[in-house]
Formats: sequence, structure tokens, C-alpha cells
Amino acid sequence: MLFRRHGTFSGGIGLPDEKEGLVDGPILPAPRCPRLLVPLAPCGGVAARPLVSPGQRVYQGRKIAEAADGWGVDVFAPLSGVVKDIGIANLAGQEGFVSCPAIELEDLEAPQLPTVEMPLDFDWRSLEPAMMEERLAGGGLTTQRLPVLPLAAWLERARSCRCDTLIANVVEGQPYVTSDHRLLAESGKEVVEGLAIIGRAMGNPRMVLAVDERRTGHYRRVIGSAENHDVVCIAVSHKYPAGADIVLASLLTRRAAPQGGDTMDAGVAVVNAAVCHAVRQWAVCGQPPTHRVVTVAGDGISHPGNYWTPLGVSCAALAGAGDHLVHGGPMTGLRCVADAVVGPATDAVLRIESDVSTASSQCIRCGWCVDHCPVRLNVSALNDDFELGQVRHAARAGSMRCVECGVCGYVCPARLPLRHRVRQLKKALAVIGEETVMGSSP
Amino acid sequence: MTGATSDNTLAAQFTASHGDGGGGGAPFLHAPEGARTIYLVTACAACGPLVAGTVLFGWRSLVVVVVTVLTAAAVERLYYRITRTPALFGRSHAYLTGLLLALTLPPFTPWYVAMVAAAFAIIVGKAIFGGVGHFLWQPALVGRLAVAVMFSSSLQPTSWPVLSQNRLLVGDIGRCRAVDDYRGWQGRLAPAGADGFVIARPETILAGLTADPPTFCALAYRPADSPSDKGPLLRGLPPINDLLLGTTPGGIGETCAVVIIAAGVYLIYRGYVKWQLPVFFVLAAWMTTAIAPIRLAGAGGASLTIWWPLTVEGLDVGVTYIHYQLLGSELLLAAFFLATEMTSRPVTTGGQALFGAGCGILAMLLKLYLAAPIPFYLAVLGMNTLTPLIDTVFTRRWRGRISLRTARTP
Repeated sequence: MLFRRHGTFSGGIGLPDEKEGLVDGPILPAPRCPRLLVPLAPCGGVAARPLVSPGQRVYQGRKIAEAADGWGVDVFAPLSGVVKDIGIANLAGQEGFVSCPAIELEDLEAPQLPTVEMPLDFDWRSLEPAMMEERLAGGGLTTQRLPVLPLAAWLERARSCRCDTLIANVVEGQPYVTSDHRLLAESGKEVVEGLAIIGRAMGNPRMVLAVDERRTGHYRRVIGSAENHDVVCIAVSHKYPAGADIVLASLLTRRAAPQGGDTMDAGVAVVNAAVCHAVRQWAVCGQPPTHRVVTVAGDGISHPGNYWTPLGVSCAALAGAGDHLVHGGPMTGLRCVADAVVGPATDAVLRIESDVSTASSQCIRCGWCVDHCPVRLNVSALNDDFELGQVRHAARAGSMRCVECGVCGYVCPARLPLRHRVRQLKKALAVIGEETVMGSSP
Repeated sequence: MTGATSDNTLAAQFTASHGDGGGGGAPFLHAPEGARTIYLVTACAACGPLVAGTVLFGWRSLVVVVVTVLTAAAVERLYYRITRTPALFGRSHAYLTGLLLALTLPPFTPWYVAMVAAAFAIIVGKAIFGGVGHFLWQPALVGRLAVAVMFSSSLQPTSWPVLSQNRLLVGDIGRCRAVDDYRGWQGRLAPAGADGFVIARPETILAGLTADPPTFCALAYRPADSPSDKGPLLRGLPPINDLLLGTTPGGIGETCAVVIIAAGVYLIYRGYVKWQLPVFFVLAAWMTTAIAPIRLAGAGGASLTIWWPLTVEGLDVGVTYIHYQLLGSELLLAAFFLATEMTSRPVTTGGQALFGAGCGILAMLLKLYLAAPIPFYLAVLGMNTLTPLIDTVFTRRWRGRISLRTARTP
């Protein structure tokens, strides 16, 4: 069985790829860095309780902090080193960078091999879903994508939503970003096994591996193990927001997420390759998720490539440049603040020199945003609503359907920040909705 | 009302507290085509009809174009300097407006008329609405309408000049003389001491069919019970080749159908124009002409009503009549360049199709029944007025799911 080709959707756009050298280049070890700021609250919420004190020597893969509640995760030391202090790190969230406490490690040593041994006769296939979930809960696993959730909480939500489909989304449509692609190309067997493990913990849903149709040549070795684990391999269109969760779930299952909801509300759980790999490494080899693949590329980056990066490295140190850094893909990412560190959701650190003048402009009503919107929103009308402050009118026009792919802002000839404006409308609606609820109660 | 007020304050709060992004948020990459590119490329496409007009109507038309474009740019600069508003996208839109306006003007337009038109276009048509993106009517047509009203006698003479084929480009459109027995442009040399002829426009000849009393008795064949001894219409018109090549009197950029269509197709290829708008415009005008009844009022109470112009004297005659009606007017320039102005047309594809169809129907009604001087421009202005309404009705609805296309076979 080969990758099955799949249909496409209306709207969207073919973006410039900018992936020369990244698609074929191997994953490299990250450059040495003098210190790490290992975040204690990678999922937000209450920070984990540190188990170490300043001056103590810690070893790679050892637990250095313990989850404080169900919305936190255990934290493991990415590298061996000496604890200097509890500092502050800036982690990317959905709304922007947030500060959280972090353990500062210094005197870093070359990585050692993990020392956790698994019993030789251990086979994850023998575990029941509940036991599997228990096993996964201890590893400090997160979803490794925005919004970052503890994997245990994510699994619980998936079960409460009765998800019957699990999609591994390796469609990286954004320019430059190739971290999941390289992970699947190099460790495809592990990724598919991790997908199967997550599926077992969810209670054996249908499993789909969705990849970009232009990259199937890299994934030939995946097919065999996918057959072993009953994973269907599907190649979807290269057109840009095919990798947005809601669009992908709609493409593959023809189910629409409800307004303002995500794919889980439609019974479809979506994961990426990084979390599959981390789950497999934890469940089978006992390696905690202390590293992830990060794409470093962009204007003026001297060493573009995909790097196996310990969590907690400063983005600036990783990119080798301090300014014009973008965290995440160029279509949906965030402008890096100072002291931004690599967190579980960091798939790319890019350097993009902004060519856009910040002079205010106005809509010329070309209609290109309307033509290219993958969820068929009239973005031009939403922009009018934003300028007039008509939040409820925008909601009736479907502002909550927006998948925030950024295509409208990409094509806009007047360079309006359309994605940002629709986000503002959504946020404002959330505030109004809360106020209405509060006002209606006696 | 309270709900709306709270919405407004909330939006203001959000805008104030979160900022407008200022281009600082994602996406960090942008498509290469900016608004300035759109306007400049459209202006380059409009240079096709301009070149054709310069060749066909001589250097004087180029003078009209230069005066109009420079006045438009100067007036825009002056206006923004006085009101201290930052000009958007450079002055590219002023150049485009001036150029399109010039294409609609006759080649013999006096320089002061061109300047007045350009000033009207920029100030009344565009600047007082708030500039690019905010105006309601296509600014070039606002200027054209203004001078059509103010200088109607000098812009709408009964007979118009056209250069002869041995005096193209270098000829002076002001030195044209009336000739009798004009049977077509090709092969006809200018009379001695002149650069061209002064002849009736095709639309003037066509209007003779319905004038009171009519100049013609039928479309192509004289019926047996003809109320008068007049000849048929199609024999009074120049060959249709003249209308296709543009060697017929008209505005600077209005006449050369071949070049206008080529430039329009380029705009469609670039994605600046959706094909639905011009196609529905032309189709609607064609259909309206085909079914709109014409009444020939004869002297002495005798009258003949042509109920079905398409087939009344055979399909071939009907089709020829319709093509004369369409090609002898400003239809193509309006359909490809003026109705497609981004700001004053609807945004969605369905809205644009409706807009184009409305333009075509309205224009032919104005032309056939009211004998309006510039019917297609008036129709575009009229439909521009309805654009906000069309936008409200034809806003794209979320259809409950992402619209999927059928799976391809591997």
C-alpha cells in the first residue's frame, strides 16, 4: 500500500517553499550553549515543584521538578549540569509569550546516554488502554504543539469527546518549517509506533498519517510499519492551510468542527510527529521528552537546518542572531521577545526581516482574502466589522470559524494585519459572551 | 442599541489595549503584489487602448492624456498636502484614474476640459470620500460625468472626426473635413488639405432608427409596407471591421475593441479582474439588445414596432444589429477597465456577476430608450451606487463545512 492521494479544498494558496536544503538535510545536534532555562510550566498554569536546589548537580534525563497538579507535567533535565538558580523564561503560548519560572542549568556537559532501563520482555501491545495511559502520564509528555497541554489531559479530553479518529498531522505547509518532516523521514518507524501507542491509550481509534503529497518520496520506509500498526497513509494537497487541523480533519473525515470549537468536538484527535516520537521514546525506551527538533532558517541564518535541541535553549542562541526572530512558522508564529526559550511547542525559530512598513493603510476591496480563505469567510466584511467595532455582527458572519491560518494577511495587497484583526474580533466576542452570561444571571 | 454601544466600546478597548498589530503579527511573509503593483499594472494594461487611441486619433489625443494624468497627480498631491492626509500607495491610483479618465474623453477635448475633468475625478470622486478604498463611485467616471454635463456641446458634437489611414499618428484631429459618400475607413484617403473626415458616430446612426421621425425604416431589408421611403439601417453604417479595429469616431480609448479585449484578458490573467464581471456585463448588454423592443415612429402617425430585434429580419441581421449596437459604444472599456475598479465594485464573485449584469442591462436601457449621451458610464455609476447593497446581500455565507473538491485519481 502506498500513500493514498486525497482531494483538496477551495481557497488556500500555494506558498513559496523556501525549504531547499532543509528537506533533505539530516537532523543535526544543536550547537553547544552555555546555559539552559528549563521551563517549569510548559503547559501554563501552576509551575512544577523543583526537586533540586541551587548548586546541585543534575544528570540528563533525571526528574528535576514534579507536577503540581493535573495541568502540569514533570520536568526532566535535558542535559547534565549544575543548577544555578530558579529564573524566568519566556515561553510561546497561543496569545503571545508568557513568563514562567525556569530552572537555570550551567556547566553543561556533553549528553550522556539515557540510563533508564526497560524490562527486556516489555511490550506495549500487552498493555490495556488504562495502563497505557498511566504509563504515559508519568513521562512529562505534552502535546508539543499549541495549545500545549499535558498529554494525559489531552487523552482525557479525547476520550470524553469520544474521538474515533486519530490523525498524525505531518503536513507542514508553512515556508521553512521542516522539523516534523525530518523526524518522520529519519525516525518514521518510531513516529508510527508512537502514533499507535497514543491510539492504544485512546482506545483504538482509526489512525491516519497525513503527509504532504510533495514529500511522499521521503517516507517510503514508513509504509511498512504503518501497515503493521493499521495506520492509513494519506497524502494531502500541498496547498497551504491543508495542515490546519480543522481543514485537515474536514478533508479526511468530512466532519466540520463546531463554531469556535476544535477538531476534538467533531470526534477527531490530531497530533504531530514530535509528540508521537516523544511518546514512543518514553513508552518503549524510557527516555523523557527533553529534546525536540527545531528548524532554524531564514534571512541571514548562517547554519540553516533542523536541530535536535534541548528544551530551554534560548532562541537567540540557537539562531545565532538576536533580532528579527520569529517563533514558529512564518504564517502563524510569534515575533520573539528577548529571553524566549525553546519550549515543547517550538517547531521552528526563523529569522525574517520584516519588509512591511507599519504605515497605516486601508482596504482597497480587492477581494483576494475572500477568494483565498480556506473556510470561506468574507474577510473583507470582517475587516469592516473590526474597524466599526461590530463584534456581534462579525460573529454572525462567522468570525469564530476562522482557523487563523494567515492566508488573508499573506495575500492582502494593502498589507492589513487581517489575521490579527479577526483574532481580536474573536477575543472581543469571548469577552462579550462572558458579560452577557454574567448580566443575565440575577 | 445598548448592545451595539457596548460592542463599540469593547472593540475600542481591544484596539487600544492590543494595538492593531501594526504589521508586527503573523503572517511575517507577504505575497509580492501590493496595492501599488495592482494600480501600476492596471495602468500599464490601460496603455494598450492609449497607444491604439494615439495611433488612431493622432498626437492630440496623447496631449489630452498627458494633461489629464498630470492634472490628476497634481491635484491629488495638492489635496493631500492641504488636508495633511498621508497619500496611500504613492500616487499610483491618481495616475490610473487620470489615465482611465483620459481614455473616456474624445480626442478633440480642449485642455481646460481635461483639467476640469481630472480635478473633479480626484476631488469629488475620490478625495472627499477618504481616498483609495473608500469612494463609492469610480472616480474617473465622476470626472467624465461632470464634464459631460458642463461641456455637453463641445464633448457631444453631432459628427466626430477620425483620421484617414495615410495620416495616422501624425495627423491633427482638428483638421478634419466632412465628406459625403463615406462608405468605410479602409482605402479612403483624406481630402486635400485635411487629415481626416468628420462623420457621424455609429451610435448616432443607430439612434436614427428610433428618432422621431426615424432616419431608417428597418434593420436590413425594406419591408413592403414601409411607412416611409427611408433606407435600411445597416446600409448606413460603416463595415464592422472599422468597429473592431477602432477606426471609427469615439473616445480615445473606447474604440479599438481588439486591443481593449487583449488588455482585459491580461488583467484577468493577472488576477486583478474576475472574468465574471466583464463577461456578465457584455452578455447582459447583448441579451438586452436582443430582446428590447424598438419603436420606429414614422411621420403621419404611422409607426412600426420591432418587438424582437434578434429575429425580426432573420438571425443574421439581428446579430449584426446587436454587434453594431455594442461595438459602436463604450461598452468594452467600461466592462474591462471602469466597472472593474476594485473599490467601487462588489467583493464577492457572485456580487460581481450581478453587478456586471446590472451594468449591462441598465446601460442598454439608457441607450435605447433615453438616448443618454454616455450610457455605459452612467450605468456603471448607477450600479456603483448599489454596490454596498449588493455586498450586503451577496456576502459569502459559511456553508457549514469546508468546501471540498473531488479526489484526484493517483
